[in-house]
Amino acid sequence: MPSLRIIPEKQVYETIIDAIGKIYCQSTPETITLINNALAIEEDDVAKDMLNAMLKNEELAAKEKLPICQDTGIVVVFADIGNQIKIENGPLYAIVSKAVNDAWRKYYLRDSITFEPIRCFSNHIQNPENSQQSVILHLSELPGNKLELHISLKGGGAENCSLLKMFNPTTSLREIEDFIVDTVVSSGGKPCPPVLVGVGIGGNFERCAILAKRALMVPISPSEKKPEYKKMEERLLTQINQKGKGIQGFGGKTTALKVSILSEPCHIASLPVAINIDCHAHRCISITI
Amino acid sequence: MRIIKIELPLKSEEIKMFTIRDKLLISGVLYTARDQAHLRLNQLIKEGKPLPFNLADSALFYCGPAPTPPGKVCGAIGPTTSARMDKYTPLLLENGLKVMIGKGERSKEVTNAIRKHRAIYLICVGGISALLSQTVVSCETFCWKELGAEAIYRMEVKDFPGYVAII
Ligand code: SF4
Repeated sequence: MPSLRIIPEKQVYETIIDAIGKIYCQSTPETITLINNALAIEEDDVAKDMLNAMLKNEELAAKEKLPICQDTGIVVVFADIGNQIKIENGPLYAIVSKAVNDAWRKYYLRDSITFEPIRCFSNHIQNPENSQQSVILHLSELPGNKLELHISLKGGGAENCSLLKMFNPTTSLREIEDFIVDTVVSSGGKPCPPVLVGVGIGGNFERCAILAKRALMVPISPSEKKPEYKKMEERLLTQINQKGKGIQGFGGKTTALKVSILSEPCHIASLPVAINIDCHAHRCISITI
Repeated sequence: MRIIKIELPLKSEEIKMFTIRDKLLISGVLYTARDQAHLRLNQLIKEGKPLPFNLADSALFYCGPAPTPPGKVCGAIGPTTSARMDKYTPLLLENGLKVMIGKGERSKEVTNAIRKHRAIYLICVGGISALLSQTVVSCETFCWKELGAEAIYRMEVKDFPGYVAII
């Protein structure tokens, strides 16, 4: 029986503060490359102007440590915890939550959380002096002695354009692809395109939504993906971009920069499909402790 | 793409001169208003009560700013999704609102109301906060501070970029 590796609370706390410090002022390097690629093929003058503004913004924000977008959203963390570690003190949620709140003050990020979703139920709205960030933490266990943290600042505008549907198991692939394409295209300019599209297929009702989010946030190597899904991702990307919604829904060659699918086994009676959209301000990082 | 510098407030006669996809560099005063502020403005109008600022010829920016870091004029700013304000917009247009800045499409009803009242809807690129905050000359909480980022802020801007989307 191998001994447990103890991870100090302070290390987790500081890692998260530093991670947020890196991502609030910069999209992922891959996203910036994809925006550059989109600019290289764009012909529409307004679309080019907007893409140029996005790239200029990335540069300025990184240099001046300013948020790339005022909506730093809700923090989503996938914590994949090795079964041979113990996080000192804890619980992990408390450490993450404290780090996020302190990062919010440190970097002057916007409080975007209302603790009462039905606003008329509570007069307490937001008190800027003591408002709290809430964190969505997904825990899973892995073999080994590492802690993997995948952290994202997820804006509300893009999140609102997400959708989940429980299909019949005999639904054709064509219908599923149409559903995904329509969901992205009918969002128009709302999620600040160019967007990234996460798709979860299979699992069950809640699991496919989590897969869609994870597909956006957690990089997986192409070799881990079934060729059928790789081809499906390419087809979806082409179909979405052919519709021409374009940059900010104002026309152009690129509406989506990337489509990522994650799939899992599901019940023979079901075929759950979830779509989670993120904007070009794609603020994600993966860290292993 | 034409690039045109404009000064707020805008009059209907000026608005007529623009065409869809023109890029306007806007200077003047914007009031920010998001969902909760729209709800309150609508309630006040329906109850016949005075509004916190003069809506006639005014410009609304659908935006909730981030806190202002020390030594800066304002925090991160940028548009939020306009469609969430659709339900409340026709009444504001009837009461003189002229310019709206946000992101994304508007409903048929709002589009018609914008045309009827000779107003203008501009979209501004979302997710370029660092760039946009450079155009802000001053920014202060104007009213309803308790709403946090959803309060109404009075924002003076210089050459703030917006693209004509509905006219
Ligand atoms: S969708 Fe993204 S870029 Fe647009 S406002 Fe929201 S967080 Fe910012």
